[in-house]
Amino acid sequence: MSWQTYVDDHLMCALPNGGQLAAAAILGHDGGVWAQSDSFPDITGEQVTNLMSAFSPPNYDGTLAQKGLFLGGNKYLVVAGDQGEVIRGKKGSGGATVKKTSSALVIGLYSDAHQAGDANVVVEQLGDYLIGQGM
Amino acid sequence: MYGGDETNGIVLDCGSSTTRAGYAGEDTPEALFPSVTGFSTVGSDQIQRQDSSNKRQKTSSAVEPSRKLKTGSAVLDFRHENFEVEPVFKHGNYTSIEAVEALWEHAWRDRLRVNIEEHPVMMAEPNFHPKVAREQLLEVLFETHKAPAAFMAKNAVLASYAMGRQTSLMVDAGHDGTVVAAVHDGYVLKHSITQSCIGGAALSQCMLKSLEAKGISVKPRFAFRREDSKTSPGQFEVQDIGLKGLTDSFCNFHVEQVAADIKESIGRVSDLAFNASENANIPTVSYELPDGNEIQVGPERFNVPEVLFQPALLQSTFAGVLDSAAANGAPAASILDVIQDSISRSDVDVRRELYNSILLTGGCSLFATLRDRLERELGDVAPQTAKVKVTSPANGTERRFAVWIGGSILASLGSFQQMWMSKKEYEEHGAALMHRKAP
Repeated sequence: MSWQTYVDDHLMCALPNGGQLAAAAILGHDGGVWAQSDSFPDITGEQVTNLMSAFSPPNYDGTLAQKGLFLGGNKYLVVAGDQGEVIRGKKGSGGATVKKTSSALVIGLYSDAHQAGDANVVVEQLGDYLIGQGM
Repeated sequence: MYGGDETNGIVLDCGSSTTRAGYAGEDTPEALFPSVTGFSTVGSDQIQRQDSSNKRQKTSSAVEPSRKLKTGSAVLDFRHENFEVEPVFKHGNYTSIEAVEALWEHAWRDRLRVNIEEHPVMMAEPNFHPKVAREQLLEVLFETHKAPAAFMAKNAVLASYAMGRQTSLMVDAGHDGTVVAAVHDGYVLKHSITQSCIGGAALSQCMLKSLEAKGISVKPRFAFRREDSKTSPGQFEVQDIGLKGLTDSFCNFHVEQVAADIKESIGRVSDLAFNASENANIPTVSYELPDGNEIQVGPERFNVPEVLFQPALLQSTFAGVLDSAAANGAPAASILDVIQDSISRSDVDVRRELYNSILLTGGCSLFATLRDRLERELGDVAPQTAKVKVTSPANGTERRFAVWIGGSILASLGSFQQMWMSKKEYEEHGAALMHRKAP
């Protein structure tokens, strides 16, 4: 399966409670884009570095919580995530979920507040599957 | 997905001093009882629990035989010998799943009298609830009690909804301690959660200690009997029954109730920083203890609530209280420090809004002058550009039960009904799904 298929069929799919993610992508730990959906914003190298250090000790996402999670030109407020595995951000009525696998970052962006739970489910399930496959 | 027009959810809030339970959509909880369980150390109550879920037995650390836990004011107020009493909520979290289950069962079997298999359950949980504990509670709820649907919401979020705000800095001055958390658009900013172990429990112990220092002994209500005096008719005589056979924890629980009542009725937060030695001649107020003894309380009235602002008092005047109040976990920080710490750990863009919308709830917020003092002192130490505003519900009931009321509001919202986690979803995905649906 190509990475684009993962994004198209497993991230940009119909959500359990209706609707669809606004954008999604799978990036490598170095920031390289493995696949992305059409409207996914461009992420800078510095943003990826900040993201990666937010998954690692000693601070985890403490610094990100103070400065904000930046993806492309958008700033997200950091809300409760899973330390070292998932970072969740909120911006207005939308938000972002970032799941870290062994060598990739699975990112999903949603724009409707009701989709928050579903976005978490979809992104994290794909992440768990990739971890299980050793990626 | 669980939805419908007639969902009559049950809202459960197991707090640190009391447990509140009731129906979603109502103004106040129907059931209110202490978050304390008791068990007999002798006799037929020491039975081996035949647990259907062996998984739970393994996770429980106790090797001793399971005890039958009893709860509810009727049980706790009755003079039992050899009856140990334990709080369910200590040091910021629940002590055991069995204890929480005992509270649940008392709430819906004895007080609300509902069949929980027919009602979705909205549970309020501590702001910093470990993942494992959440999953364990859900497993018990779905497997043993067979609830049709459930949701777990953080205390801070619910209290914020109760006050009609989606964004606020929620200061919960509770029994076990003070917890401060920033809420933004209905989500807790996890890194902003800060705690202090100074809460209602610590203050009650301080009050007790200052009375003992004056030589006044506080007797629990069951330790004496008042009878018509034979020598002088029309007068009452107090006869000591004594505390033989009663456990320390039982006596302490009841003595603390009396101390808490003293603290609540005559305790005041002074307008300015209070110094006990300077104000030693302050006019005293009299208080009648349950055994008829009238005591005069002077500087202690102000000195005890002052601990909230000056934790250094715990080292000097009230030395020794801290050891019983909190052995681990949260430090003894002043309420100002906890608030500032929380704000400094939040996103820079939100900070000004947080200073502007500080909400004060919880049992300790019932001190009438606490809000004013807090607003003034915080205004002094906050950065110049920030405008400090501290709000508190006008109604005492709303201050104590803000979390429950928020749960009642949330569970009855039309737009919320699609967010319940149903039993079917639990069976398909496991308890971990709750972390995604309600992070």
